[in-house]
Amino acid sequence: MRTLWLFLAREWADTWRNSRVLPLFLIMPIIMIVLPLILALLAPTLVHDAQLRQDPSTLGMLRALSRSPEFAGLPPAEGLARYLLRATLGVFLLMPIAMASTAAAFSIVGEKQQRTLEPILATPITDRQLLLGKLVACSVPTIVVTVAAGLIAIVGVDIVFATRGMTMPLPDRFWALTLLVLAPALTVAVALVTMRLSARSSDPQATVQTSALAILPAFLLIVALLGPMLAVSFSGVCAACVVVLLIDVALFRMNVVRFRREEILTTWK
Amino acid sequence: MISTHGLTRAFDGVPAVEDVSFTVPAGTLFALLGPNGAGKTTTVRMLMGLIGPSAGSATVAGYRIGAGAETGRVLRRACGLLTEAPGFYDRMSAGDNLRFFGRLYGLPERTLRQQVEHFLRLLELWDRRDDAVGTFSKGMKQRLAIIRALFHDPKVVFLDEPTAGLDPEAALEVRELIARLKTEGRTIVVCTHNLDEAERLADAVGILRRRLLVCDSLERLRAGPGGDGRLSVRCVLTGPAALHAPALSAGPPAPALREVRATETTLTARCRPDEVPGLVAWLVGRGAGIREVRTETNTLESIYLRAVRGEH
Repeated sequence: MRTLWLFLAREWADTWRNSRVLPLFLIMPIIMIVLPLILALLAPTLVHDAQLRQDPSTLGMLRALSRSPEFAGLPPAEGLARYLLRATLGVFLLMPIAMASTAAAFSIVGEKQQRTLEPILATPITDRQLLLGKLVACSVPTIVVTVAAGLIAIVGVDIVFATRGMTMPLPDRFWALTLLVLAPALTVAVALVTMRLSARSSDPQATVQTSALAILPAFLLIVALLGPMLAVSFSGVCAACVVVLLIDVALFRMNVVRFRREEILTTWK
Repeated sequence: MISTHGLTRAFDGVPAVEDVSFTVPAGTLFALLGPNGAGKTTTVRMLMGLIGPSAGSATVAGYRIGAGAETGRVLRRACGLLTEAPGFYDRMSAGDNLRFFGRLYGLPERTLRQQVEHFLRLLELWDRRDDAVGTFSKGMKQRLAIIRALFHDPKVVFLDEPTAGLDPEAALEVRELIARLKTEGRTIVVCTHNLDEAERLADAVGILRRRLLVCDSLERLRAGPGGDGRLSVRCVLTGPAALHAPALSAGPPAPALREVRATETTLTARCRPDEVPGLVAWLVGRGAGIREVRTETNTLESIYLRAVRGEH
């Protein structure tokens, strides 16, 4: 436990001084906070405009929402706002991917570049401790920032709804499960994949690009297939959580099994 | 304290180190010499348990290398390693870097605090403890890396190129520190190709070029083959007699012809120090003009060069 905390503290301190990682950790949360707020603010205008212009796609969506048990009985503007808020949860999954892969790439390749791996391996630390320490160090800052941004977004959206005399919509179970389980689980998966890929690289940018190539298509496929379901089906979100957690376990086991000190010393140059 | 038997390591079928056997008694300093790529770092990594041998065995501080994860942990705790590159987190302060590594060694906080202060003061880095390591000179980083190799009080210390790239003053400081470590009874292995450094510090020397070419105490190596205490005497002769040098080869103590030029001849002889005046008188008595008489002892440089050139 002490080792995990040690890596986390070191990595956290390093992140705040890394001019290539820090901007990502500052900009991404702003997007995560601002996007739901904008949608909450614009939903009434969107509904009003659509009704005025008889926009068939928006009106079609409103009709579909009015038939859904979750949104039935709500005024159209509120129903649309709540639906769009669900849809923005995708941002809370996409942003951690960008942050975790960058943090993990710099975390691992940074050790290579600073030649700190051999001194670390020369200490009595075990392979599992090192891997777990690195994983925690790569994942926790992203998870903390994502959850914090989510909490701020929830408060902001609730304030917007309250000022309009509507029921505060957040946190709902979709947001809670996505922020507390799905996003962290996805962050861990991304960090594990990046850690594995970075073992073969000596350039952080190349690692980020390689991991993006490996991760993004899979992510986009999942979102395309499951996106609409994740916004309306709670059991779909639960299933996604289980699947990603299983992927986490499998990836961690694979990383531990395939971890070789020798490989690190002889190939992580 | 360190004992290796037939230690071998190959990478992708290509041997980096082959059949290396040596012993380093406790409290002594062993210098592992060799050109770049000779296998020094690979040998040290094997002895630290960082990489496994392809063949052979070794025992360090009583622990057999490659005997499992737990033995590896205990072995690494018993040893200190100065890596070829210092390897620190540049954006972190010197103190924070040392505390990070100290905690990985499992040092209790109080001990860690005391050790960090003790060594930073000893190596005159205490005033810079809060400065980022990235602002340090190469010598300062090297001193910091030495602290990291020592502050958990290891019985065995491996120093890989401890003075490489340091200016003369910093190199001297590091050498003095190594000499001090020896007096503290630690067993030290220094990898270097700085022969002067090895000659000043080492009790024993191993010359490695994939295989261990030479391995003996410095005293015995200096004494030369047989260790009979005889000197190699080099005489440069001029004058007419020099042109008939082959005839001089018969004299006591039988100088050997080394080189004949148009105007001078070089002879060498192996004799005891008290035989040198007799040899000179004998040559003069035969009409040789003597331009130079020089005794040649076995320097580490000559031993090293002979070994790596395959003349040993």
